[in-house]
Amino acid sequence: MKVMIVEDEMLLAMELEHEVETADHAVVGIAATSGQAMALVGETPPQFAFVDVHLQDGPTGVDVGRLLAERQIPYVFVSGNIKKLPDDFAGAIGAIEKPYTVNGMANALAYLSAIVGGDQSASPPASLVLAEDALRPQRFR
Amino acid sequence: MTKGDQFQTDARRAGDRLVAAHVREDPFAAAFKATRMPMIVTDPNQHDNPIIFCNTAFERLTGYSNDELIGVNCRLLQGPATDKGTVLKISDAIANGRDVAVDILNYKKDGSSFWNALFISPVRDDDGHIVYFFASQLDFTNVKSKEAELALARHQAEEAVAVGTRSLEAALAARTLLVHEVDHRVKNNLLTMASIVKMQARLTKDQGQRDALMSVLNRIEAISTVQRKLFTTDDIARFDIADFARELATDLVGAIRRDDIHLTLDLTPVYVPAVKASPLSLIVNELVGDAVRRGLSDGGGEIHIVVKRLNGHFFIRVEDTSVPVETDETSAELARMLLEASARQVGATIERSQEGRRTIVNVKLLVENEKDVPY
Repeated sequence: MKVMIVEDEMLLAMELEHEVETADHAVVGIAATSGQAMALVGETPPQFAFVDVHLQDGPTGVDVGRLLAERQIPYVFVSGNIKKLPDDFAGAIGAIEKPYTVNGMANALAYLSAIVGGDQSASPPASLVLAEDALRPQRFR
Repeated sequence: MTKGDQFQTDARRAGDRLVAAHVREDPFAAAFKATRMPMIVTDPNQHDNPIIFCNTAFERLTGYSNDELIGVNCRLLQGPATDKGTVLKISDAIANGRDVAVDILNYKKDGSSFWNALFISPVRDDDGHIVYFFASQLDFTNVKSKEAELALARHQAEEAVAVGTRSLEAALAARTLLVHEVDHRVKNNLLTMASIVKMQARLTKDQGQRDALMSVLNRIEAISTVQRKLFTTDDIARFDIADFARELATDLVGAIRRDDIHLTLDLTPVYVPAVKASPLSLIVNELVGDAVRRGLSDGGGEIHIVVKRLNGHFFIRVEDTSVPVETDETSAELARMLLEASARQVGATIERSQEGRRTIVNVKLLVENEKDVPY
């Protein structure tokens, strides 16, 4: 799938990009601000996105998330404090808490790519906290 | 003679009749006149219930002379700050022929105010008709001002406490913000460290170097997971080793995607204080990692992990059926050193035994009573 990475720490973003590519997915772009992210969504809409909450322009990851939810693009938050996320997860499938491990991210990515592809048979890995309505069908186009 | 003069004359005559009804030696009348308590008698059967008699104490209290008081209604004593509700209460009691006791702000002739503890009671004749009202007053301005002082002091104390509370709350909010900020930094830094190691492992062409870097990464990630789980739980001073073991083992076994490695878990929550979280997690990480590595090189096997409390002890067991294989000497030595250091750190004992294909490692640690646990 085509993946967007919204993360203001470039080193982390690049490493995540590598992990996404290792799992045979393509990264359409890395955004460090909510503006860059929203522009990317307009230009090259991804099929999936990782969204950090704290970006270079503040705690604007949630705004990016709401835009993605509006466009029915599935995404997860990647955040150091998932307790601070809105109760409805802003339409996200779930959240991966930092600092994630290589295995944790690989398992989460495998699970996410399966459910985005329509296969909901697997159970979610420990590294992924699902939203209550994570698997409702209208989430995926 | 004006109408007002007529009323006053009527009132005075009524008062005279009242006094005349008592002989000179009547001790009750004498007491009424001489007492230091201000007292009056009013006649509700005359127009506007006027004062028909007042004693000297009442004249002294109010500053009015007997002449000025006889024939007028008691409302003479009311002023701008007199409470309207209290006045209503008095007129209601009088209209209904009941006793009434109120605290009312009254005014003297010179315009100064005083707090009056007023008591009014109807006086009835043999037929039960109200013939007079009797009223006693008590100036309690001094008491009232003491009350006001006390109330002011109390208010100031409460204000001081409120200010103190607000500054404590502000300090607490600042501290919480700081803790969150530091936590956020630590998490990002741990992930950054891991990313740098991953990058170098990817860049190197040397398998030995790559293995060494992945071995470092593995331990950084174990510590990272501890940091994440410490702040995920509501109580930051409590850490569940069973929860850590579950995530570590399922993520590890999930990521290697080998059908021939079977993981079974027997985990009950065991909470340890934050200071013990890292060493204990490293122990679990070493034991589970070792079992999985041997399983990988051996062609699979069963791995069974137990975390529970046992007879006041904290107990971890990692059991596997992989044939022990010679691992690379350096990494085996590192694993041994980490296990030993972590065990010494928390005062745990580690026993390793071999039963045929089965390797069993038991870790035991005495857990203090919760209240004794230092944070």
